[in-house]
Amino acid sequence: MAITAQEIAALSIFTAVYTAIMTEKLHRTVAAMVGASLVLLINIVPWEKVPEYLDLNTILLLAGMMVIVNVSRESGLFEYIAIKTAKLSKGNPMKVLLLFSVVTALVSSFLDNVTTVLLLTPMLFYITRQMDVDPVPFLLSEIFASNIGGTATLIGDPPNIMIGSAAHLGFNAFLLNMGPIAFVDLFVTVAIIYLVYRGEMKSHGEREEAIKLAIMSLNEDDAISDPVLFRKALITLGLVILGFFVHDRLGVEPSVIALSGASLLLLWSGASPETALEKVEWATLFFFGGLFIVVGSLVETGAIAQLAGWMVGHISGEGDAVLIITWFSAFSSAVVDNIPFTATMIPLLKAMGGSLNTLPLWWSLSLGACLGGNGTAIGASANVVVLGIAHRESIRISFGDFLKVGMVIMVSTVAVGTLIIWLRYIGL
Amino acid sequence: MQVGLFSELINRKFQNIAENRYKEIVERYREFFLSKEELVIPRVFRVFLLLDRYSEKPNDDVYETLKAYPNARVCLLYVVEESLVRLVASTLGEEEAEKLRTLEINFGNHVLDEVESKLKEMKFEVERRFIFGVRAEEPLKFEDDCDLFIISKHYGSETSRTYPVSPMVYRIVQHIEKPIVIY
Repeated sequence: MAITAQEIAALSIFTAVYTAIMTEKLHRTVAAMVGASLVLLINIVPWEKVPEYLDLNTILLLAGMMVIVNVSRESGLFEYIAIKTAKLSKGNPMKVLLLFSVVTALVSSFLDNVTTVLLLTPMLFYITRQMDVDPVPFLLSEIFASNIGGTATLIGDPPNIMIGSAAHLGFNAFLLNMGPIAFVDLFVTVAIIYLVYRGEMKSHGEREEAIKLAIMSLNEDDAISDPVLFRKALITLGLVILGFFVHDRLGVEPSVIALSGASLLLLWSGASPETALEKVEWATLFFFGGLFIVVGSLVETGAIAQLAGWMVGHISGEGDAVLIITWFSAFSSAVVDNIPFTATMIPLLKAMGGSLNTLPLWWSLSLGACLGGNGTAIGASANVVVLGIAHRESIRISFGDFLKVGMVIMVSTVAVGTLIIWLRYIGL
Repeated sequence: MQVGLFSELINRKFQNIAENRYKEIVERYREFFLSKEELVIPRVFRVFLLLDRYSEKPNDDVYETLKAYPNARVCLLYVVEESLVRLVASTLGEEEAEKLRTLEINFGNHVLDEVESKLKEMKFEVERRFIFGVRAEEPLKFEDDCDLFIISKHYGSETSRTYPVSPMVYRIVQHIEKPIVIY
């Protein structure tokens, strides 16, 4: 079959954008915007089709959550959580590992992973310094827990938001299908980290009291810069989470819940909308927008449909599809940013919908895209952020060091997830 | 690909994703993280507990604080304002001045006995000094021998609505560089 000029152009632009995102020689937002501009300029994606490809549900959900997080942050809510967690650990390395992993996973399941690790990593550095232990296992555990926690819910990780929007899967569906996988994977991960770094987890005998004193001297109330806003932020976050649980019954999209929460918090707190909106990560939102259009060009030219047709022709059933999509997504997401990867896979899965039951495949995509990021140092934004912070604190975690542990974690957690999906949808 | 290239890549990605937000967050954390210096418990071998006619007797918080330094020697320094005795002597005569001196000594010894006995109960080594001098200046003479001063907010004069802490305490705090506990 002959390839048209439009297909060649769309594939070239798509490949160039992917390369730019992978190498980060160009800011990923700039890469996506240039790519989107090009496919619009040469009319691969007609202007009237833009609203169809631009997934507003994803973009507005992200924007709403960003406003809520930014306003809540001003109250000191997240520093409060970090100090509380530190004090609960009482300076015991094993408790620090377990508690920070659980709290990171829990917070990541409702907030974006980057915000979570940005807020918890400085505290982890402080505690490990007091304990005089190597921070590496604790940082690695935080990275993995953040990616695992994000897998558990619709709003935990951008790939899930995109999948939920494309496949019309609600918050509860994610929680019921991905939640148990994340739960088991979290403890598998902590166990692996413990086994690999058990030498670092010993308590410090006579120094234990001094360490405990240093950590217990932190006062979580000092973190609360605005007690009134703190309470309002907590209540609003609670209402938003409750809203996500019932959005299906209310018949509204998750983005509407997030935007309503953001509006309520702005109205109730009296926070300046200029300041709140200034801190919205517009670069991320434009990155998503640009990417949707670039991927839309592959749909428009029929490249995705051809690939889907080829795949369906070579897959014997849903079991095969689950295995292929999960592991292909996992290894791809370990190398490529999982957001463009998921954006590309979504139309492919939609195109396969005519011949296969795609429900387990959406979970496979979510599993591979979210947990594949644990495989390498550049697999997910949380990895890059924690390693970047470590670098600034003169802690060196090389690509190879990360790869050795990351690949073990990735393969183990994806295998556990695959098994659960298989048992649930394919059967023995 | 070399390891260095990955470091550069991670660095570039970090700068693009979160560098500015990280700086903001670290700045906020600095407000309540303790520095290395703050985490070192100061070594205290000698404590001066300043007392005078206006000082409140040390409360439980003071004794709790002293418990942190079980090996410290506590010096009770009771100061009577010498200029007041001289003023009485020049206006009312030597006999009245002597009466005042005796009254002050008795009152001071009573206070010292009470505090000394409590400290001895806590197994502290206690020494006591009774001085007629300038209340604002006497403590300064002992600064080199002392690791920690403890002083009542009423030392030197009774507090008023205008000054919740006696002005003499402010003056001493300004001149002494050693740590001071005010109760």
